[in-house]
Amino acid sequence: MLYRATRGRPAALLAFGMTALLLASSGGATAQTGAYHDFDAMTSALRAAVDGSSSASMRALGTSAEGREIWLVEIAGDGDLDPAARPAVLVVGNLEGNHVVGSEIAVGIVQHLLSGADGTADVLANNTVYVVPRLNPDGAEAMFAAVQRHRAGNGRPVDDDNDGRTDEDPADDLNGDGVITMMRVEDPEGAYVADADDPRLMRRADAAKGESGQYSVYWEGTDDDGDSFYNEDGVWGVDLNRNFQHAYPYWQPDAGRHMVSESETRALMDFVVAQRNIAAILAFGLSDNLVTDYDGQGNPGGLAGLDLLQYATASNDDVHDVGVFRQGGGFGGGFGFFFGGGGGGGVPLRGAQVGRDNDPTSGRRPETTFHANDREYFAPLSEQYKALTGIESVGLNRGAEGAFFQFGYFHYGVPSFTTPGWAPSAPEAEEDASEGASSAGSGRAGMAGRAGMGRGGRGGSSSPGADAALLGKLDAAGIDAFVDWMPFEHPQLGTVEIGGFRPYATHNPPADQLADLGRGHGEFVAELAGRLPRVRLVATGVTNHGGDVFTVTADVVNEGYFPTSLRQGMTSRAVQATMVQIQVDPDDVLTGDAKSATVRRLEGSGGRASFSWVIRGQEGSDVEIRVRSQKGGTDSATVTLR
Amino acid sequence: MRTTKTIRFAFVLALALLVAGPTGLVAQEMRGSDPEHTLPMTWDRWLDHDEISERLQLMADTWPDFLELQSVGESHGGREMWLMTINNPATGGELDKAGMFIEANVHGNEIQGAEVVLYTIWYLMENYGRIEDVTRLVDERVFYLVPSVNPDGRDYFLDEHGSGARTGHVPVDSDGDGQFDEDGPNDLNGNGVIEQIRKYVPGEGNMRVSHDDPRIMERVAPGEVGDWVMLGSEGIDDDGDGRVNEDPVGGYDPNRNYGSDWQPNYIQGGSMNYPFELPEARSINDFMMDRANIAGFQSFHNTGGMILRPPGMAWYGDYPRSDIRVYDEIGEMGERMLPYYDYFIIWQGLYTVHGGSIDWANDGLGIISYSNELWNGGQYFNSPLLQAQQQDPAQPISGFQKSRFFFDDFLEFGDQYVEWAPFDHPIYGDVEMGGWKKLSGRVNPRFMSMELFHRNMAFTLYHADQMPLMSIGETTVESLGDDLYRVRVDLTNSRIIPTIIEKAQQTNIVRPDILSVAGAEVVAAGWVPDKHRPGPTDIIDQAEMNRIQIRSGHPGRTTKTIEYLVRGSGTMTIEYSALKGGTVSTDVTLR
Repeated sequence: MLYRATRGRPAALLAFGMTALLLASSGGATAQTGAYHDFDAMTSALRAAVDGSSSASMRALGTSAEGREIWLVEIAGDGDLDPAARPAVLVVGNLEGNHVVGSEIAVGIVQHLLSGADGTADVLANNTVYVVPRLNPDGAEAMFAAVQRHRAGNGRPVDDDNDGRTDEDPADDLNGDGVITMMRVEDPEGAYVADADDPRLMRRADAAKGESGQYSVYWEGTDDDGDSFYNEDGVWGVDLNRNFQHAYPYWQPDAGRHMVSESETRALMDFVVAQRNIAAILAFGLSDNLVTDYDGQGNPGGLAGLDLLQYATASNDDVHDVGVFRQGGGFGGGFGFFFGGGGGGGVPLRGAQVGRDNDPTSGRRPETTFHANDREYFAPLSEQYKALTGIESVGLNRGAEGAFFQFGYFHYGVPSFTTPGWAPSAPEAEEDASEGASSAGSGRAGMAGRAGMGRGGRGGSSSPGADAALLGKLDAAGIDAFVDWMPFEHPQLGTVEIGGFRPYATHNPPADQLADLGRGHGEFVAELAGRLPRVRLVATGVTNHGGDVFTVTADVVNEGYFPTSLRQGMTSRAVQATMVQIQVDPDDVLTGDAKSATVRRLEGSGGRASFSWVIRGQEGSDVEIRVRSQKGGTDSATVTLR
Repeated sequence: MRTTKTIRFAFVLALALLVAGPTGLVAQEMRGSDPEHTLPMTWDRWLDHDEISERLQLMADTWPDFLELQSVGESHGGREMWLMTINNPATGGELDKAGMFIEANVHGNEIQGAEVVLYTIWYLMENYGRIEDVTRLVDERVFYLVPSVNPDGRDYFLDEHGSGARTGHVPVDSDGDGQFDEDGPNDLNGNGVIEQIRKYVPGEGNMRVSHDDPRIMERVAPGEVGDWVMLGSEGIDDDGDGRVNEDPVGGYDPNRNYGSDWQPNYIQGGSMNYPFELPEARSINDFMMDRANIAGFQSFHNTGGMILRPPGMAWYGDYPRSDIRVYDEIGEMGERMLPYYDYFIIWQGLYTVHGGSIDWANDGLGIISYSNELWNGGQYFNSPLLQAQQQDPAQPISGFQKSRFFFDDFLEFGDQYVEWAPFDHPIYGDVEMGGWKKLSGRVNPRFMSMELFHRNMAFTLYHADQMPLMSIGETTVESLGDDLYRVRVDLTNSRIIPTIIEKAQQTNIVRPDILSVAGAEVVAAGWVPDKHRPGPTDIIDQAEMNRIQIRSGHPGRTTKTIEYLVRGSGTMTIEYSALKGGTVSTDVTLR
């Protein structure tokens, strides 16, 4: 097993910020094991890897809100096909700003593929691997700031509470410990109690059991703008992994003003839609569909978020009710008087109209579940992933509204995987994990959504399931992921306790594990690339009918594992049919297949389609046949008419 | 071309200046309000992008105090995306007034909206200072006008081969061969018209020539055979792949690329890969997102005679009741102003549209939005007598086809039809080509343009006039001793549209209205339910009482009275700021 638990945790945690700062201040250096890379250091590491190889190049897809490059590394060695036509894997990391491990692994994948290790030569010869290690460089850079916070978003200022002022009430590091955590305050009106089993954790008081709440929970900080809400409009930005087109969470401040609204997501999307040879996607993020089973409906299952973050965020749920005045409702007589009766007097609304009256239920709906046949193809990959990385289960797994990997499958139509890339390994705690991981919802945004780890959804369970399960694993792994509650005199709230989950620590491993994670995932990418569809022209033949009339036949075979199109690729029409073309004048095709014949899907592992054209041609001349598969490469063969 | 036109316009301008000199408003009134045009323009011609550009520039030069012409970006084909702003700076800055945004021609072949937009600019400027309502409207509002959201498609339609093309010109591989836009229609006989192709196949076809009129092609009844087949539009197999016209320019729907209810291509054909991927839609949206004062939106399309409101699909239910009431009142007014136009919800009266511009304007930007489908064939024969004759098989105008030929023969003198003529096609052999020209059907006859332009403009001006308009009415000050005062202020939105539509309040996409006080300490504030009777007030409980947020906005045609209990002396300023309804303030003296 490649994965191993951390050793020497205090040093490793310090390495989160300090080592990278050292790297940055020394002007950047080559990749070093055991360190997270800030932007400059990551750039240097990529450049070092690319400069040392004739099979890799690097360019910027665009720039972030704060002007950092969004690097793309393209890996393709010498081979038969133009790299832009080869079956390709796209790797994207660090979609969530606080998931920096994703970009560290992505850099590790680049290094592995260029290392000459077993299995990489085939990838370099047959495939192209595109790696966008850090889609959210602005968000990632926050990891190296003096104060760390639970921040998933990019660098765009957002007026989260829509009060006409932007970022006017951020969280504050009140106790000066360098991390933004939470506050809990004894409050008879509060909704929460400390959990009996682990008093560090909070849970919702269960009125059905006669419990009453004892605490309120907030993010750490003061009410900077005096609106009686704490830290309701901080520097969170837009969460790029909620900004894509499938199941997009409309009108949530952290999801952007609309789909693909951010310079970072747009840069990635423009690349992906132009680069249609991408035949599989691996995205590092806070959702998982690689080791967690799909649920009964065919959706990624096992959602698990942290209640404590959600509780802190929920303290600001009412901010959007400020200033809502209902006309009439609850006010007795309503407001003032109306001009002219208002709104067309007593005229009934135009509900059903004269004229055409279309069926409101008509029209096709978008697919929302992973097709069963496609999932069959994914299952062996999951097993391989577990074997190569040692990751059997994940700690956090958030709902995937607007996540990039969902676009990859549902719209783009290719095998598309997401993984947190790391989980604390504590086999004895796994039972708990699967139980606690059942209920986390999705949907309503808020800081927890922004932090990328909260449950989402109002409420939360009355048992700290996911919190306890994850904390148990982190404790067992020796990772200091929780700041113990300590009393603090708050200028506005009086005596509070400050503590809670440490930013980054729940889903970014100690830095000494990064090298192994990079290698394991690099091996997985090589495996994935080796399974992409690959079409070949085989068994061509010619029959001479005399009088310059010939029958030309050709078989096309898919030598890869994946079909040339998934079911969803056909459904979404995103994956083009494989085209087989005979290079003669169309007028010379007398009967049989069309000059440009197509097959929508060739199964993998030897799926075959036969074509035959009856043509007029000159005896002894050569005729070329070409096959072009969007996801499976191209091939050609020449037959001689005789 | 360009030189000739410029000379022509320069001549017209010079002539206008000569004529306009000595006459005044009184003289115009004596002539029955006949205008003396500052910039005479004719409206009987469809204008391509260069011609639109010239007219816009000419108007901007003629009325420089009010008009500002800018390009909000370039189309894919490198044409400027012109936007004209009409604002009277003497009555306030652009962003301090509610803005009416009017766009047209997002579909390349739906051209006449551009002329409606040009006519609107021209009419407002010609009649400013002459007609009282026009003057007031221009003084109170700002207008943003985009004649063509798809200038590439417009020129392709008017000047090239895009007879049926809604699309813009971002290349799309329509036939999946890895090549882009490599096989479109071709004008094989060089007559400037992309015609239809028919082939004579005795006893083997599915079409026949009508007994009523040899120009009409009819599908034969099931079980019968005809002598003709239709072979599509004029063209050849440009790329030698064995298929004809299978990958023309573009190949998408530019009005399905907006950010609300955007759906992927397999659900909504032609939506492209993500919202605002297209440079044209993106430029328009960037401009609008920068201007929160835009409070009205109108899009012009064709055809069918409709005033459409969002939503484009029914899945998510209708809008909040108070918003529907606003839509209904303005839409029904439109039906009275536009004969042959029906007011519909898009999905219900037309068809389901995902990701259309007016859905985005409403849902994404909080703007009351309509889309007019210009022109309706019913206007060919616009009397009860003629409509009855159309139902009578004995009449020469019975049925759609015959009436269309009748109208062309006698009102347009046959200008819109090309007779079938033999042609030796490289693939199909001996065929005939002919049929209706591209302007026929979707576009009104030129001689009917003025009325179409004016009525549709009048509807959008009514809509513009109903954008929220805040004002401050009566104020009272009552001394309660010890520097304590009770101040009451009436706040009025005199128009139909609220400062924040309810849908936008629900999704928090429009900044709340802000009611602020300077120069006094606010002890308490509350709404007065009925200022004519004594009674309690509805206390407002917010943290910053000198900056009250009003997230639900100010309803349409409503006066609300705010009561402040303040401590202070001297002048107290009360300001109401609504992004879409203007900012108004008043000073009251505390004594």
